[in-house]
Amino acid sequence: MSSAEPQAEPKAGPERRASSARARFPRPEPDRDSAPWWEAVRRHELTVQRCEGCGTLRFPARAVCNRCRGRAWEWVPARGTGRVYSWIVNHQVFMPAMAGEVPFPVLLVRLDDGEDLLMYGDLVDGSPGDLEPGLPVEAVFLDVDESTTLVGWRPLR
Amino acid sequence: MGTFRDRAAIAGVGYTPFSKDSGVSTLTLAVDAVLAALDDAGLDVDDVDALATHRVGDSTPPWVVAPALGLPEVTWYLDQFGGGSVSHSVIGQAAMAVAAGVAETVVCYRAINARSEFRMGGTGRGPAAIFDVQYQAPYGYFAPPQQFAMYARAHMNAYGTTHEQLGHIAVGQRANAAKNPRALKRDPITLDDYLSSRWIAEPFRLLDCCLETDGACAVVVTSRERARDLRHVPVLISGAAWAGGDSFFSGAGSGPGGTDLTVTEAARLAPRLYAMAGAGPGDIDVAELYDCFTYSVLVQLEDYGFCPKGEGGPYAASGALALDGELPVNTHGGFLSEGYVHGINHVAEAVAQLRGTAGDRQVPGAEVALSTSQPGYVLAGTSALILRSDT
Repeated sequence: MSSAEPQAEPKAGPERRASSARARFPRPEPDRDSAPWWEAVRRHELTVQRCEGCGTLRFPARAVCNRCRGRAWEWVPARGTGRVYSWIVNHQVFMPAMAGEVPFPVLLVRLDDGEDLLMYGDLVDGSPGDLEPGLPVEAVFLDVDESTTLVGWRPLR
Repeated sequence: MGTFRDRAAIAGVGYTPFSKDSGVSTLTLAVDAVLAALDDAGLDVDDVDALATHRVGDSTPPWVVAPALGLPEVTWYLDQFGGGSVSHSVIGQAAMAVAAGVAETVVCYRAINARSEFRMGGTGRGPAAIFDVQYQAPYGYFAPPQQFAMYARAHMNAYGTTHEQLGHIAVGQRANAAKNPRALKRDPITLDDYLSSRWIAEPFRLLDCCLETDGACAVVVTSRERARDLRHVPVLISGAAWAGGDSFFSGAGSGPGGTDLTVTEAARLAPRLYAMAGAGPGDIDVAELYDCFTYSVLVQLEDYGFCPKGEGGPYAASGALALDGELPVNTHGGFLSEGYVHGINHVAEAVAQLRGTAGDRQVPGAEVALSTSQPGYVLAGTSALILRSDT
């Protein structure tokens, strides 16, 4: 079981700055299970939990395996690639911070690490019109500001 | 099962007017709806011994409504956390309380100023503090139209479901609402009107989305025996069922399709509900299906067994859902066109159909109705009822 690790400076690599309006979207509110996941994202590492009892990978973060009920786990690196499962293109301004952002897509991606591992994120370097089910994508990290990093997905072709 | 089926009945239904700005508190709405339901049943406040509701921080609880009404004594109450997922759960639990002898006459109500005070879409407030939100809201994704649009896109991807098929649901329900004096939207719409309405969250347009409504509705649940002494033909609660589990979780047991977002929790609930009521999809004369969005109707057509998985779109476009079709759906116009009281107005409409008092929109000879809550996508749970006319 890994403990919370100290925050590190973001690494070099495919990192991006989110827009200033995006910085006014709701911030992640980690719980006691998910804090290490968010801290890893802050370090530009995409991770999932692996149960030490049965080896099952899981996401979202929680302390008990829903296969074997084991309570020991470790954080392991995800491959960082996946396939687009579904998406929306949001037009409605549901909160004031969206006014300068719409229309914007939101993706739901199946990780290549497991069929049942789903993650949300922004579309990076792509057009919503090019989205199709199964489109291969890779994770990139979006530094919103000095304390928050989010996950984006960049098409691989 | 036999100890529950048909033991409790709905004996009264009451509404406040539906509007975009009620100008009154949710307490006033609740009181007005409860009194209207009692009047419909031919009962007095003194006959009530229990109250039940659900809310998400947006309404007035039973222990405030009870003294506001001057109830002599509350012997059972239910104040359930939740939105549309639990709308039918409340009535199912009231029926269980009656069947168990814990309460004799329960008034179930839902009172919300969903347009003028508390908009589900999130405008002017933050997302609800639930488990999944941390992984979604930072991307600007937290409003119900966005979430259901994501599921609808998954269904389109898997089965070729089209915008036009969703549009048939919106157009058909508006045609029903045109025959409903209570409905907020009664002007007929065409498929072209649907297809030219503005985007909300692709693949959803404005006319895929339900109304946001100020209003309240209440139903009186009592024993079958007592209901038989009252004003109307009793509407029996033949089945009530629940299901839960979050399909966003990895791992076994996380929804009937695992992380297949084209299947809802209703697919799990339906076999139990039908068995409990001693009925099947072919026995349903009218279906009031939770329609926060057009797509939630489409997916429930599949998950309640009215057509095979993946064929909800063609089935909806076939005309089967019309008042004179094979399966009349949302005969009042639903949340899309009557108004959004979060589920209980579907139950109230089912009661009118089974009493035979639905006026111009009456389905001739309707004897068995299915009424459903949000099928289990957001906040995960679901619940549904099968109702039967006691004739």
